[in-house]
Amino acid sequence: MSTLFELELPPELSAKEPLERRGLLRDQVRLLVVSRWTGKVIHSHFVRLSDFLARGDLLVFNSSRTLPASLTGWIGSDDFRVEVRLAEHLSDDAWLALLLFRAGDRSQTRLRPGLIIDFGQGLQAQVEGSDSTNRRLWKIRFSKCGTELLDLIYRLGQPIRYEYAAAPWDIDCYQNVYSTEPGSAEMPSAGRAFTWKTLLQLQRHGVRIATLTLHTGLSSYMDDELDREHPASEEEYFISQETAEQIRDAHQTGRRVIAVGTTVVRALESAAERSGFVEPGHRYTRLTINAGYPLRVTNGLLTGLHEPAASHLDLLSAFIPAEKLRKAYEEAVRKRYLWHEFGDLNLVV
Amino acid sequence: MNRLNRKKILITGASQGLGRQLALDFAREGAAALALCARHSQALDKVRDEVMVVAPDIKVVLIEADLSRPLDIERLFAIALHEFHGRLDVLVNNASMLGPSPMPYLLDYPLAEFQAVLNANLIGPFLAIRKALPAMIEHGGSIINVTSDAGIVGYAGWGAYGISKFGLEGMSQTWAAELEESKVRVNWVDPGSMNTAMHRAAEPDEDPSQWADPAEVTEVFIYLASDESEGVTARRFQAQEFTPRAGRMPKH
Repeated sequence: MSTLFELELPPELSAKEPLERRGLLRDQVRLLVVSRWTGKVIHSHFVRLSDFLARGDLLVFNSSRTLPASLTGWIGSDDFRVEVRLAEHLSDDAWLALLLFRAGDRSQTRLRPGLIIDFGQGLQAQVEGSDSTNRRLWKIRFSKCGTELLDLIYRLGQPIRYEYAAAPWDIDCYQNVYSTEPGSAEMPSAGRAFTWKTLLQLQRHGVRIATLTLHTGLSSYMDDELDREHPASEEEYFISQETAEQIRDAHQTGRRVIAVGTTVVRALESAAERSGFVEPGHRYTRLTINAGYPLRVTNGLLTGLHEPAASHLDLLSAFIPAEKLRKAYEEAVRKRYLWHEFGDLNLVV
Repeated sequence: MNRLNRKKILITGASQGLGRQLALDFAREGAAALALCARHSQALDKVRDEVMVVAPDIKVVLIEADLSRPLDIERLFAIALHEFHGRLDVLVNNASMLGPSPMPYLLDYPLAEFQAVLNANLIGPFLAIRKALPAMIEHGGSIINVTSDAGIVGYAGWGAYGISKFGLEGMSQTWAAELEESKVRVNWVDPGSMNTAMHRAAEPDEDPSQWADPAEVTEVFIYLASDESEGVTARRFQAQEFTPRAGRMPKH
């Protein structure tokens, strides 16, 4: 799959630290507002989000909690160190994971089914085989399951961090204030800027709020070539009867449904694929959304700023023509907006 | 017997004393699920066995966590909300530590011990409430903080413990004010003197038989955890003076 458009993204535009670690609040990021229809760009601030929302608009959040999904393990008697990044919890209770070795380490080539990875504290995993659809992922099965495994993941794991993070920020920096059930490999970061104060103010303004759960996979497989191909990943999601009804009600009364994050778009559009209406339930999705995809549920999107190669950008092109998006992004670079999970936000309505 | 029908409840400090008794009484009142947290899991195993005797169908989740450590609190709520499918109805912030026994005067209080008590008794509940709210905000919930007489009167020799409870009472008021528009209620309860390991350590020269059994003080907690107390928030209760009638708000 080709890149939607080329964009020179200077490295200093990667947000390196969470605002709350600079004595500010999460909600003090900037907001780039882009009209889906005209491409018109307005530069604002996230705390003014309600200026761009109407009474009755329904904001849908992904309440999935971020796991400390990076585990350090050792293989065999030679003690090869491996970083295991959990990507997806499979329905048969195994996991898909990215296994990363230190640069130059030849252990990568020795990976084979049957290998045992030892994490300490009594936790091990057996490598069952490579994934059939994504060449960088391996299927592994832990020696523990359920609550006991979750407990050990929390005791042993670290949040997945990328090279632009200025310090090993703790898991709270990678958690949305409204998150509940754990399961995401990486933070659904479009919601990171929301504080309780903003949420309560929006409700006072008449904006309605609904939640769903989609456990996110990895945003990068640490392989530029593969990342550019945007391999379709499978993600687990859950939509309650209540949320499905709120969405139906919004549509029937002509109000907008605005997704907080691309994960919410994916969950809602997946749940509506069969009947055109959001069907509640617990399912897995492999849906790919890109330019020309007929959005059935979502009318708008609040999201971060994405790298040109990211699959999220393809998803944005279902909301707004690529050319208009390119112009908005070029302006965001000129105006020094910040990218990635600790960065500024983009509202497309 | 079913005043807590379908409620999902998290109790900190549940391995002994008041926390253990609350687990038993909440189970008797029909709670659907209990997440019980303490620093040592062996004692929790025993409480679970006792709970299962009074309520064989209840779901019980045991979580070993030290509430003076923020990462433990994140782990505690991740596990509880995983088990409870993202929903929590009641949080009882019961865990607290006394500090050194016998309790030193403030002038003699070791700084590290002072900080440890404030961490466990004040910062712990602060973080626990933050992490409980997402699971309560949609459907409503009840937060009950356990305080003490030493949280409104500065007794000589009650050192960090009393100060932490003053903090907890102030914090409870602030939370209640901030959550006024929501369906989440915040109240705090002074259980009074009870014959527990903590109270015996606080006043080792006193005769513990004069103090209440924890089983005698749980009525107000059941009331606050149940829907009977709907609309009741920002109030301080004294468990040993509580009668259900007195607790109810006048009907309009």
